Amino acid sequence: MTDKIQKRNGTVVAFDSVKIMNAISAANKAVEAETMTPTDLLFLTEKVCNKLPKDELSNVEQVQDYVEETLIQYGYTKTAKAYILYRADHTKIRNSEGDLMEIYERLTYSSAKDEDIKRENANIDADTAMGTMLKYGSEGSKYFIDNYVLPKDIAAAHMNGDIHIHDMDFYMLTETCCQIDLIRLFKDGFSTGHGHLNEPQSIRSYSALACIAIQANQNEMHGGQSIPNFDYAMAGGVAKTYVKEYFKALKAFFRLKLGVSACKADELVVKIKSKIKVKPTMSEPDIFNEALLKCADEKMTEEFLASADAYACETALDLTEKETYQAMEALVHNLNTMNSRAGAQVPFSSINYGTDTSPEARMVIRNLLLATEAGLGGGETPIFPVQIFKVKDGINYKDGDPNYDLFRLAIKTSAQRLFPNFSFIDAPFNLQYYKPGDYNTEIAYMGCRTRVMGNVYDPTREVTCGRGNLSFTSINLPRIGIEAKGDIDKFYEMLDEKIDLVIRQLIHRFKIQCTKKVLNYPFLMGQGIWIDSEDLDYEDSVAEVLKHGTLSVGFIGLAETLKALTGKHHGESEEAQKLGLEIIGHMRKRMDDESKKTGLNFTLLATPAEGLSGRFIKMDQKKYGKMEGITDREYYTNSFHVPVYYPIKAYKKIELEAPYHALTNAGHISYVELDGDTCKNLEAFEKIIKYMKEKGIGYGSINHPVDRDPVCGYTGVIDEVCPRCGRRAGEAVSVEKLRELRKRYPNVPKCCE
Amino acid sequence: MTSTNAMNQEDKMVGQDVGFERIRRITGYLVGTTERFNNAKRAEERDRVKHGI
Repeated sequence: MTDKIQKRNGTVVAFDSVKIMNAISAANKAVEAETMTPTDLLFLTEKVCNKLPKDELSNVEQVQDYVEETLIQYGYTKTAKAYILYRADHTKIRNSEGDLMEIYERLTYSSAKDEDIKRENANIDADTAMGTMLKYGSEGSKYFIDNYVLPKDIAAAHMNGDIHIHDMDFYMLTETCCQIDLIRLFKDGFSTGHGHLNEPQSIRSYSALACIAIQANQNEMHGGQSIPNFDYAMAGGVAKTYVKEYFKALKAFFRLKLGVSACKADELVVKIKSKIKVKPTMSEPDIFNEALLKCADEKMTEEFLASADAYACETALDLTEKETYQAMEALVHNLNTMNSRAGAQVPFSSINYGTDTSPEARMVIRNLLLATEAGLGGGETPIFPVQIFKVKDGINYKDGDPNYDLFRLAIKTSAQRLFPNFSFIDAPFNLQYYKPGDYNTEIAYMGCRTRVMGNVYDPTREVTCGRGNLSFTSINLPRIGIEAKGDIDKFYEMLDEKIDLVIRQLIHRFKIQCTKKVLNYPFLMGQGIWIDSEDLDYEDSVAEVLKHGTLSVGFIGLAETLKALTGKHHGESEEAQKLGLEIIGHMRKRMDDESKKTGLNFTLLATPAEGLSGRFIKMDQKKYGKMEGITDREYYTNSFHVPVYYPIKAYKKIELEAPYHALTNAGHISYVELDGDTCKNLEAFEKIIKYMKEKGIGYGSINHPVDRDPVCGYTGVIDEVCPRCGRRAGEAVSVEKLRELRKRYPNVPKCCE
Repeated sequence: MTSTNAMNQEDKMVGQDVGFERIRRITGYLVGTTERFNNAKRAEERDRVKHGI
């Protein structure tokens, strides 16, 4: 038997008959009939090997010819056909180098307006130099991964649209996202890799450093960054600012009332500070007050110190509030303008808050919401950070709860600015992890919807901080629905095959991720952001700590799948809903089983699907034509959503989608679309959010039109004509008119004049 | 001179070819303008119907 073989690129490598067997097996699996036993496989492989000339070097093409010949010879005609298709596909892949150059041409010479490929992600501006550079890299990398890295059947499944490997351009590089614990990071300061930053000492520097941490981590990962405990983390900064402002005010009081110099007043304050062990706080002002009064002497009587304390408390509170507003305003502005990833985009940032009831945290939440409501410099709606208000009964859910006022403010803000979204700690699948007072056990969501909480790798660490998704891959569910031709058993059989394939692919990618070292992630791992990475040295492997992350299987188009299987989607029929829950329940069970088997966190994701929304359906239209309610639109319906075009009451939609939240443990979101007027009704808005909570939604939000006329600055609903300045899109208005308007609306921008 | 300038200023028209910004939620993120949506998401956004309560 031959022991060497020549590859297409001319190199000679050791001959491996297992590769032949795998190829035959893969082709055989692609057909239903002609099931081969392992013995059959061995037999056929041996026959192929025997055909190879013993004394001359064979090349890959010749071997493939022998495989075809042998399959036909022994009556496996269908398998042979599948094998021929597989070969043809791969020849096509190899010839696609030309396609890559064609993509580069389009990236270079067309604008994003005309090229869908430049609008895959709406928050990246691919018309800029750095945006285009990013696309060159991304497309080149995808080509490399497709053709030289992925196992052939996985590459084929991705390319033909059975599955979609998300962020494939980063396959060899990094992980998706992480939830950053700022409290741990700020303690004793941190380093971004370009310099050391000391522990922040005021709310302003807390907010600035929060942005820097998000930015630094974003540059080391391919997804977004999230702060799961924003209110808890910022509260420390407010407390520090309060102390500073308190002593500043105390000093001013001494100067004026005692008529002493600034220097002398300073001395007095320093003396008091040295005598008192506690610090002034917003939450328990009496403790410091008591200690201060004990410092009384003949010059500064108890009465004098009492009024000094009252003045300092009031002044510090007022100034700290102002400082906090400025800090939150700066945070929102920074996160909408600071660049990451070669300048082509701002960091994809998310912040979760709402449950810390301390006065410092409440100040943070209140001012963040107010700054969000005010909008950016020109009154624009902030796109980042994604804000998530954590709803919890007993904390902020109903009248009498300590943060209920903030929940109401969140509703008011969301009704105007689309953020915050709302997450629900009381949903049973979130509540099971919750320990009162421990922010690490409060559910948090990342940006688009990602959720990381359960942990089979280390059940004692079912926490949010320091963890994230490693990678995710989605299954083209409608295609399986179509191919099953109404046969449910066949549907599950095919679905299981696809799940097997995706699991294999996720592990393939995970193994690549495991080859990395701490030095590959100077911030994420080097600064101990990722859980347990603080115990690692620079040269250490990250393989073990990565196991805290999740590997997720996603899906798109449950609605179209049900339509293909039963003729109706889950908004239309109870029977379809029942089947929908069974299908997604089955997928979830497969994830749980795989987790048990491997000790890795396999989870089920209701895929966000931005770029993917049109990719599968385009291919399926070519394959099956336009099937009514299945392939006749430009997009597949998002995850388990009821189709966007289907008229349904808000409450009904919530009821139907809620049970899927319990099943999709890697993340989910449900939205309700309201018109502009309903949205102004805050009672109605609150009722809908509360209904989400009662029905067991994990994460939800309300969509409503937020339009803005950049010429006159009007924000609200604009149909055809701007209600403020009266122009239509593209029409001009006179400067005089804008000046008149500015008398009534000070936010009319001046940029257009 | 000054007054003529001021008059010209008042007569000046602005906003020609400037469209409206339409902020929408996709996936969970917001997007500042639908112009950057890909074709499929544009179609999806167009098809969305309001939900009554």
